[in-house]
Amino acid sequence: MMWLSGGFVFRRGDSPYHRLDPRVKLLISALMFVSTLLVRSFYELLAVIAVMVAVAAVATVLKRVGRTMVLTATFSAFIFVINIVFTRNLESSVLYAVRFVAIVVSTSLFFITTSPDELEQVMKTFRLPRDVVFAFVTAVRFIPVMMLDTIQIMDAQKSRGLELEKGNIFRRVRNMIPVLIPLVVNSVVRSGELAEAMESRAYGAVPRPTSLVQYKSSVTDKVVALAALALFIAGAYSFYYILPVQLP
Amino acid sequence: MIEFQGVTFVHQNGVKALDGVTLKVEAGETVALVGENGAGKTTLVKHVTGLLKPTTGKVIVDGHDTKQTSTASLSRKVGVAFQNPDHQLFSESVEEEMSFALRNFGFSPELVRKRVDWGLGLFGLDEYRKSSPLVLSGGEKKRLTLACILAWDPDVVILDEPTVGQDSIQKEKLAGTIKMLRSAGKTVVVVSHDIEFLWPIQPRVVVMKSGRVVGDGPAALVMQDETLLASARVAQPQLVELYRGLSERPPGPFVDALDARRWFEERMKR
Repeated sequence: MMWLSGGFVFRRGDSPYHRLDPRVKLLISALMFVSTLLVRSFYELLAVIAVMVAVAAVATVLKRVGRTMVLTATFSAFIFVINIVFTRNLESSVLYAVRFVAIVVSTSLFFITTSPDELEQVMKTFRLPRDVVFAFVTAVRFIPVMMLDTIQIMDAQKSRGLELEKGNIFRRVRNMIPVLIPLVVNSVVRSGELAEAMESRAYGAVPRPTSLVQYKSSVTDKVVALAALALFIAGAYSFYYILPVQLP
Repeated sequence: MIEFQGVTFVHQNGVKALDGVTLKVEAGETVALVGENGAGKTTLVKHVTGLLKPTTGKVIVDGHDTKQTSTASLSRKVGVAFQNPDHQLFSESVEEEMSFALRNFGFSPELVRKRVDWGLGLFGLDEYRKSSPLVLSGGEKKRLTLACILAWDPDVVILDEPTVGQDSIQKEKLAGTIKMLRSAGKTVVVVSHDIEFLWPIQPRVVVMKSGRVVGDGPAALVMQDETLLASARVAQPQLVELYRGLSERPPGPFVDALDARRWFEERMKR
């Protein structure tokens, strides 16, 4: 389960990519995301994935991104099967399946290299309502906590003779009930306690609270952002005006 | 009964939680695992039911290597009451919660009923039989998890921080239950920071620090080793402190307040 969450959970790192302004990281991920939607052939998509792998290498998260790819491939296989059944077009089916992997990786790259605090600052930059920012960031922050809860609940139920891996698919789903109920109840209780703790520490006392961290883009940040934009424009131009590929 | 043979356990993130632990717990022994937070106590007990498998070394439970045995079959012999009761309660009623493991182990309906009645009575939960376990107080939930474990009569009972959220009366009852299990020949392992709770039980004490066993012996000996306890950040029981502060003292430390009172009264008479 922790393996599953690993694709979206931030871990502190000291790579040049980690040190970038979170807004630049968001820009890079957004550009990669859009690129995956713009491509029209499998080979163009491979080029976009190659860029993602290069970014992952700079961020020293290649192993984690690799795991995410393998995991996402399971869902991709499902997309491929559905497409091939209904469209009977191998090329487009492969494209849609691999595109899904690329979309997940582009999003994952942002979340695994950006701390919840940085994420909060990025969202504030866009002047989103404070409650929305807080709710979103808290949800992200609590993913690892919930994963840990899940493991502990599974351990507790396994110790009472529950065999989660036994039986057919329906039995396995039914076996998850003793895990899901405590997980949901704990989450509801925790959110109530968190709300009380926040209010008792003056959450919402002033409309515009001050901030501990103020982000200022360095020269490196600006250069990286410009380079990413240039690469995106060059890529988009070549996809549409140079490479003679028809939309499948 | 339980044997750890040079057990090392490294988490996925590379943190070494156990470092070459070698320990043997005989059948019928009562063992207390003590040590600072993060010493590896809970990690160690999770190896007994096979929830965690050693990175290197072996854990043998009743002759079975936990690497080769499923948690479900190990848990028939070993009952673990985990720290947080909220991690296991899910049923609609307290009695259904208690019967969950019994049904998993295939007990007959008649036996399930008998065991549920016995457990609810033992832990004073009979009045909540039809209530949802989720609305019980923290202490009651903790007692319910203990009742759930004892209901299937495992040979080994592991209690992880059993006194958290319990008032003094419940702690006394719990100590009584542990003594009862000991006299019934059960192997009991208690993980606890509550030294005052452990001391009157007089268990074998295993002291852990940074994933290693740094002290092991009868409570009366280990709890007098100030240097060992300080290094593992374990407090000395108050009765041991009192005993060691006396210029004239009995051959061994006072086991409980009554024992100390008797000794002082005899001294006063003289």
